[in-house]
This record gives sequence, structure tokens and C-alpha cells, in this order.
Amino acid sequence: MIEVRGLSKTYRVPVKKPGLAASFRSFFDREYKEVHAVADLSFSIAAGERVGFLGPNGAGKTTTLKMLSGLLYPTSGKIDVAGHVPQAREPAFLQRITLVMGQKQQLLWDLPAQETFELNRAMYGVDRKAYRETLDELVALLRAEPLLERPVRNLSLGERMKCELIAALIHRPQLLFLDEPTIGLDVEMQVQVRQFIAEHNRRTGATVILTSHYMQDIAALTPRLLIIDQGRLRFDGAVDTLTRQVAPERRVVVQQVLPELVPLGFSATEGRMVATVPAEAVNALLQRVLAVAPLVELGVEVPPLDEVIGRVFRGNRAEEGA
Amino acid sequence: MSAGAPEERVWLGSGPGARVTHLIRAWPAVLRVAFAGLVAYRAEMVIWVLSATLPLVMLSLWNAASTGGPVGGYDQLAFTRYFAVNLVVRQLTGSWIVWELNWAIRKGELSPKLLRPMNPLVYNFAETLSALPFRAGVLLPLVGALAWWRPEVLFLPSPTVFFAFVASVLASFILAWTVQALFGMLAFWFEQSMGFWSAWFAIWSLLAGYFVPLDLFPAWAVAGTRLLPFYSTLGAPIDVLLGKVDPASTLATQWGWVVALSALAALTWRTGIRRYGAVGA
Repeated sequence: MIEVRGLSKTYRVPVKKPGLAASFRSFFDREYKEVHAVADLSFSIAAGERVGFLGPNGAGKTTTLKMLSGLLYPTSGKIDVAGHVPQAREPAFLQRITLVMGQKQQLLWDLPAQETFELNRAMYGVDRKAYRETLDELVALLRAEPLLERPVRNLSLGERMKCELIAALIHRPQLLFLDEPTIGLDVEMQVQVRQFIAEHNRRTGATVILTSHYMQDIAALTPRLLIIDQGRLRFDGAVDTLTRQVAPERRVVVQQVLPELVPLGFSATEGRMVATVPAEAVNALLQRVLAVAPLVELGVEVPPLDEVIGRVFRGNRAEEGA
Repeated sequence: MSAGAPEERVWLGSGPGARVTHLIRAWPAVLRVAFAGLVAYRAEMVIWVLSATLPLVMLSLWNAASTGGPVGGYDQLAFTRYFAVNLVVRQLTGSWIVWELNWAIRKGELSPKLLRPMNPLVYNFAETLSALPFRAGVLLPLVGALAWWRPEVLFLPSPTVFFAFVASVLASFILAWTVQALFGMLAFWFEQSMGFWSAWFAIWSLLAGYFVPLDLFPAWAVAGTRLLPFYSTLGAPIDVLLGKVDPASTLATQWGWVVALSALAALTWRTGIRRYGAVGA
């Protein structure tokens, strides 16, 4: 579905120091600095996959998404999306994809969302019967019926995102680019959007590519991760693989303070005893704990995903600093 | 969604023929939604439309100036006719794409529009067209009031002149929109590109026949200014209807500008879009 080879994007941005004199100088002799937003990225994504792009702010994930969807021209490298060169934005390509941006909207602000749906129906050349079916299904899945007739400006952020999703899916795209689709939404609405995307993917088999700051989005939606940092691909694989690679240790937790566990490698934190050991040593440790204190409540924790990701980024920085 | 497997889908073709067919099919819905959008802004729209009534102000000035006798061949009736037609042409050829495009490019609002299978420029052109009934609705009472104030202003052009006028207004409409689109696209290169537009508008006001009929200029300047694009966007249809110029050569100049500037706009769009930064997520 997607083939990316040696993809790079370099922006040329004007540099200006603060102050009037600097403004004046900059008017006559503007300095530019090259920013390598994306550098030599290569990967492929198969039809029907769900992939998460992860990285800190300014890592290049949104730039990559914009190049894949045809909004930005790459500086160098090759992209093939469903047999098309994205930036040519041929109608047959645009009809196959959609891009939902959490911070940009396509809904017509002063009109009910229905009008945007109708406009998209016409622009994408969807026949009325298919349009009706798709719309009914999307509205039911998102429970959006009461929202359709109100002007978009009177909708809450979450309600608007529901309508954005409908507008983006009216033409039944095979490839969904979702850029921070849950940004700014409250927890309940985030869950609804996540459930919707998962359900939509299950029903249609569409390929989903998602960027997000929320680990829950990634954990719930995308079995495969592409970690991008400073424009480079740092990891490509399953979430479990990443955890094994970066954080092979487990935390064994005893829910009370027991000084007799200290010799086994435990230390007391916040009313609990915690020991960090390699995954393969967990079973042996559990048996030794139970031998010392047979009646304690025990748990084994995998480091949370955001901690794992944090380690990947810190590791990269350390590597580059060295 | 689940209805209809992908292979049953009709994909939009990429050739020019397929694009035109698609456009024709989509056109009614696009016009309808665009019109609904304009109606949603009815207060703003009335103000916009009324702000284009400057010709009436110019009329009152020239009317006062010509009380003692004709100015450069224009008596009070001639001035009234000139600015009445000026008002009509200006209303019918109004567009706002320069502001919209400038905003969309600088704020990244162009992104969602670029990803729909209809060029954002084509969509804006449809929006501009859809405003015509609205503009005509505002024009009627204004022209009615003028005719009531000075009934002799009304006259019946010959069918040939009338059709030449229609063709000329159409050229002005396309040209005025294209020039605005061109200035709007400068936002791909310049952050403060609206300054260029202000400069153009100042020169335009003088050379398009907006404030002054061009034949009041010194004789040596008249022929030259009539060849410039400014005149083609406003003065030309007025003078065609009032029988002051040869319709055939005037139409040739106008449509020549339409072809040249449309080609320039298409080229500018293709070049500019590569620079588009799609800012702000």
C-alpha cells in the first residue's frame, strides 16, 4: 500500500534576532537556516495495517504524514501510495485517502455539518444511495444524529471531531491518515474516537496511519509502531518487541512494606516493596518471595509505554551527545 | 463503508475529459452549498455588497462638477449612465479570493481543501458565481432608485451591443477573479503579500475607469490605458454598452488578457503549491 524510500524534507526558514535593528537588517539581508525535518526515511506499510507514528514535537512525524497524503513535496526520496505519487494529488488518489487533522478542520464553520457531507459527496462523486448508507452507518457508530443539523460553530470540540470523522469518511477511503485525532478531547471522547477508529478499521479493512501524543491512542489502535525522532526512523516494529528491546526488565511489586525482602533485592517505595529484574528472572524471584512471605499480595508490572518511549528518545539523545 | 467492495467503486479519472465530467456532475451541489454558506453570513454579505457602491459616491461628485456644463464631453446624464453601469459591472464582477487564498496559505487552512478531488481554485470560482444572485438582488433596488431619480438614464441597447456587453462582463468577471487569485497566491512566497494587492488596487482604481471615465484622460493616454488589464476588468464593458469603443477589438483585448493571465495563474499555482508549507499540523 505504501512504499517509502530515502524520504527527506528540508525546510528553509528565515532567521531573525529580536529587536528593531535586527528587523531592519533582516529586511535587506535575510539569513536562512536549513531545517532537516525528515532525513532519509524508508519503510513500507501493507494494506489493512494499523501503524502509529510516534515522536516528540518537531520530530518529523506530521511532516511525514503530510508528504504521504500529498500536501507537501518531498525534498528527495520516493513515495508510492496505492500506486500513486501523492504530491500529484490525482483525483483517483485523493478518492482513496483521507486526512483527519485534530488541529485543522474541513467542516464549513457557519453551516450544519450535513452541508459539508453533501459537498464532499458531490466532490468525491459518491452516488446518493452509497452516500446514504455510509452516512447512516457512520452516524450510528458515532452516535452523531443530534449533531447534524446544528451549525458547526455551535458544536463542542468533541462533537466537531465526530463530524470531522464523518466528513472525512463519506467517500469510503481505503487509507486513513489521522494526525492527532484525539488532541484536546476529554478522556471519554478520546475513548469514543478510539473505539470508532478501531471498529471502522475492523469493518472496512482500511489502512490506518496515526500520529498521536497520547500513548493510549497508540496502545489501543496500532499494533505496529514507527518511532521518528529528529527526522530519522528509530524503531519499526510491534509494541511488544519495543518493550522487550528497550525495557527487558519487569518490576515485581509487593503491596506492603516487608523489611525481610530487602536481601532479595527489594526496596521500599510508597508503602510497597519493589524489585526490578530481567524478565527471565521473574519466576525464580516470585518463588523466593513466597517462601519468605507466603501470604503477600504480589504483582508483576511491565514498564508503561510512555516510559519505554521516553527511554528510546533519551537513548538517542545520549548516543548523539556521545 | 461495508456497503460495496472497493472493486465496485467508480474511480475518478485523471484525464481532462474525466475531470470536466466530474465537475459538471458536482457543480449543482457545490453551487448550492456555496450559496448556503453565503446566506449564513447575510449581514456581512450585505455590508460587502454595499461597500462596492463607491460608483454612486463618484457619481455624486461628477454630477456636482458638471452642473455648469459638460466635463470633457460628459454631461450630467452621461455621468449618471457611466456610473450606473459602473455600479452594475463592479457588483457582478466582485470576488474575494485574494483574501481567502492569502489566509488559507498562511494559516495552513488550504490543507483540507487540497485533499479534496476538486481544485480549491475551482471551488472558490463556484462560490464566487453562487454569490451572483445575491449581488443582483442588492443591485435591483439601487438601480431602481437611480432610474426613479433620473428616468432618462434608461436606454435600450441594440441586441448586438447587448450581447457584446454580456461577453465583455463575462471576461471582466473571469479576469477580476484571476487577478485576485494571482495576488492571493503571492502568499506562497511572501508573508505580507496583501501589500502587493493594495498597490495594485490603488493603480487599478485610477486606470480601470473606477473613479474617472478613461476618455477624460489626455488624448495621448486613452488608447494606451485601454490596452492595460485594469481597463479590461471594469471600464471595457461600461464603454461597450455605452457605445464608446469598438466592441470587437475591446473584446479581443479582454479575452486576450483572460487567456494570458489564466495561463500565468495556472503556472503560478503549480509553482507555488510546491512551496506550500501546510503549517500548523
